[in-house]
Amino acid sequence: MKKRSLNLILRLIFRYKKHLISIIFFGISWSVPNKEVVVAKNKEQKKRYHSLAGRRDFMKVLGIGAMATAGNSFGTSFRGVDEMMSSPIADRNLPFWVKEVDEPTVEIDWENMEVFANPMLTLFNRSYWEKGEWEKIRDKNLATTTEKVRNKVPGYSLRDRALGDANCWGWGLSEIAPSWTGPEVKPNFNWEHPAMLYTPEDFGVPRYEGTPEENSRMLRVAGRIMGAADVGFVKLNDRAKKLLYGMVQFEKVEKGYPKPNGMKILPDKDLWVICSVIPQSLWMAQYTDRMSWAQSNTAAYSRAGIFSNRIKVFLRGLGYEHYGGGTADVGRAVGFGVLSGMAEYGRIGIMVSPQYGANIRTVILTITDLPLAETRPIDAGITNFCRTCKKCAERCPAGAISMEDEPFWGGDAPWQAKGIKGWYSDIKKCFEHVFGGDPDCSICQAVCPFSKFDRAVIHDLVRMSISSTPALNRILRKLDDIFGYGTPRTGEVWDIDPKDIPLFGLDTSRS
Amino acid sequence: MKTVSWIWFWYFLIGFISGGGFVSLRHYLRKKAIRLAWYEWILSFLALLFFIAMVQTFIASMVEGEPRAAWMSVVFLGVPMVLITVGTYRSVHARLKQG
Repeated sequence: MKKRSLNLILRLIFRYKKHLISIIFFGISWSVPNKEVVVAKNKEQKKRYHSLAGRRDFMKVLGIGAMATAGNSFGTSFRGVDEMMSSPIADRNLPFWVKEVDEPTVEIDWENMEVFANPMLTLFNRSYWEKGEWEKIRDKNLATTTEKVRNKVPGYSLRDRALGDANCWGWGLSEIAPSWTGPEVKPNFNWEHPAMLYTPEDFGVPRYEGTPEENSRMLRVAGRIMGAADVGFVKLNDRAKKLLYGMVQFEKVEKGYPKPNGMKILPDKDLWVICSVIPQSLWMAQYTDRMSWAQSNTAAYSRAGIFSNRIKVFLRGLGYEHYGGGTADVGRAVGFGVLSGMAEYGRIGIMVSPQYGANIRTVILTITDLPLAETRPIDAGITNFCRTCKKCAERCPAGAISMEDEPFWGGDAPWQAKGIKGWYSDIKKCFEHVFGGDPDCSICQAVCPFSKFDRAVIHDLVRMSISSTPALNRILRKLDDIFGYGTPRTGEVWDIDPKDIPLFGLDTSRS
Repeated sequence: MKTVSWIWFWYFLIGFISGGGFVSLRHYLRKKAIRLAWYEWILSFLALLFFIAMVQTFIASMVEGEPRAAWMSVVFLGVPMVLITVGTYRSVHARLKQG
């Protein structure tokens, strides 16, 4: 019986295969690439789009092919769809089941529509409440929050609360200036919270306690939520202290503080450095220098700034110390990044990570007394690959990156520091190019063979080979060129379907 | 709708073609009373792996915005697939001819 049914189905499929294929392809082409049919009518534009959005192009090729197939099968019955696709309205690329209509689906009486005076007239304004009513609700909120924090109710515990406060940063806290020791708290008698940033003392509970392993895991989770791609930890021992800037000194004090002369003082006790990786958009870095600066670089720095404040608010909410700031506040980002195993050291003199390649904008360093389990340095064959690859150096428009086969002891220039056997770049050439013409430049980062999206499984196979079989490195570098990787995207970013732009410019496949 | 959300369809198609192809092949071999040697099964499986890798890399590279890489993957993974398939076919054919 089963066999007979299967045979029948197969026979039907084979008999109507042409129609089935047509239906499938037509369905896809109808629902997806609206704009491309318009584009196809304009050869010049068509060419331009071809070189722009790969995802769209792919579907476009298939979609237009499918339209032809569908047309052959169904005659001219779909002319109307073609016309619909040519409509400028279709440019928005809504899903096929979403219609654009003239009026919203909610009924509106425009004749009697009142103008709402200003947002202060909502129920957030306590004058709209009866006397004592507002305070009653607020106190109830506080009492409930406090009770849950004290009883460590899952989802409402101290660390959950601290994470909520941390992510509040950037929303409603602009009057609180961030500092080296974290944001100063001012009373904020808004609707929900008497002060937006809580500490354990506010709830009458001791500070958060966990094993170093638990704390590290907690920070990795919180880091991803707050905006870091990866988080590593380094204990501040005598070796690691050499990666701090000279302006950071240790004293026998209870808490760290900044001195008026610019020196920053840390307490002489057990401290750890949280190394949070902030990647930039590879997608945007592949466009022109200006576009890279306009989106990839600047957006990553902005996210880094917000993250830096968030992580300090989080640590503060747990009851721990927190020192740090932007990208140049406590120490050498690349050094700590490499030491914490977030990446290896690369030819460019910056971090190259197995996941993000050289496409890391910065590492936010936050010093804390929260005990943490250290993460160890990594070896994925990256530094070794840099010996043979040299793609970044070959493509550097300023010729600033070293072409030496082997790394060397350098750091003789005043703006460098000795102690690393690496490839020291001629940074003056780099700066002359970056600041004397196009704003910023991410070419070395974008062309690095490790800077890849991770949708194609072949990238992982290549990474595995680099890690385990260095003898193939030279061939893999050649293949990277043959496959066309590192070729800048051409055309204007403004012509891309907005939905093809990853939100915040981050690559959807890896963020 | 984002184009990328249609990727599931292409991966579904790979599965459908691979699964359907395997079932059809088994059905065909049984019908014709052809028995494959163990190494011919291995070679067929290898060809299938190359096919899946080629289609995955092609689709993924297009999605990544790397059309050249996509077509190169057809060359670098498709050619070995074809060679292995042809080799396997010739091996089976020669064996059947010998009787």
